[in-house]
Amino acid sequence: MAFKPSLRRHLKMESTDLNLTPIMNLMVVLIPMLLTNSQFIKLAIIDLNLPPAAGASATANPAAELPKEVQRSLDLTISITDRGFYISSALAVLHGIDGKGPTIPKKDDGTYDFKQLSQKLLEVKQKAQGVFPDADAVVLQAEKDIQYQTLVDTMDAARVVDVGGEVRELFPRVALSAGVM
Amino acid sequence: MAFVPSKIKKHKSELEVGLNLTSMMDMFTIILVFLIKNYSTEGQLITPSDFLHLPYSNIQKAPEKGLDVIVSKQLIMVNNEPVVPMTDVVKNDPTVMDRGVIKPLREKLLYFSNQSKKMEVDYGIKFSGKVTIQGDKELPYSELVKVIRTCGLADYPNLRLVVYRQTD
Repeated sequence: MAFKPSLRRHLKMESTDLNLTPIMNLMVVLIPMLLTNSQFIKLAIIDLNLPPAAGASATANPAAELPKEVQRSLDLTISITDRGFYISSALAVLHGIDGKGPTIPKKDDGTYDFKQLSQKLLEVKQKAQGVFPDADAVVLQAEKDIQYQTLVDTMDAARVVDVGGEVRELFPRVALSAGVM
Repeated sequence: MAFVPSKIKKHKSELEVGLNLTSMMDMFTIILVFLIKNYSTEGQLITPSDFLHLPYSNIQKAPEKGLDVIVSKQLIMVNNEPVVPMTDVVKNDPTVMDRGVIKPLREKLLYFSNQSKKMEVDYGIKFSGKVTIQGDKELPYSELVKVIRTCGLADYPNLRLVVYRQTD
């Protein structure tokens, strides 16, 4: 008997659509779920250490364990006033360029010069690193009308500085002084 | 003469019109990928209050859970319950203020801290003393210090300031 080609050749090739219904169902459930759960505004928090006097169980100060005579602390303080920033430590107050007035005066357009503040703090940090035990802490104080946003901006300027694309840590341990000037 | 239905139309083959879902699927896929990318498994630990504008900061620290203290321009709230109107605090009203401490806020915080301490004894849930402060960005420093001072004196020394994360 001679070879007879298969008859299947004549079967009709039907083009079938993918059944997308289950995927559609999945989408319809997943998208509303993710939409309701997603946060479009990113929140963050700033840790704040109360000065030991105000909060009894505030974070322990490593310098406090040393004997009193050996304790040498920097006690860096930034004061925010309506004329600009004053930077001071336990030893001295940094003066502005003309020898008086705020360390970093406001810019000519009346805004605070946060960039200059970061630069100045970087200088302080480089000198204080390794010399003082509290070379990562800073106390902020402000005049009573200073806005919260300015305070947060100052904390940002005192936390890290960007030196030519390289991020350097300055004084991440921030405390607020309770005394209002 | 009565209506005679068209004889041509009667014999028209019934064409099945399938809905073309491909473009819709594309769209859904893109939305889905975008949403999954934005999805955080922690969920929303802190809900920003509607009454205030938080300040902006470039800090990247993720939010933590804590007792909510909201300081808006009108009033101070703890866990979304109004505690004291801001005007009394600003005026240093002696019925509300006591040497820089906001009395109603202190009582409220002490109530919550006592409850948390009881929970610590009964169920072993550690009392962290964490409080998240949501302050309006125009809040003056003097009022902020009053709130912080009160928190410190009411067994909540671990303060967390809630800010919007700046994206740049």
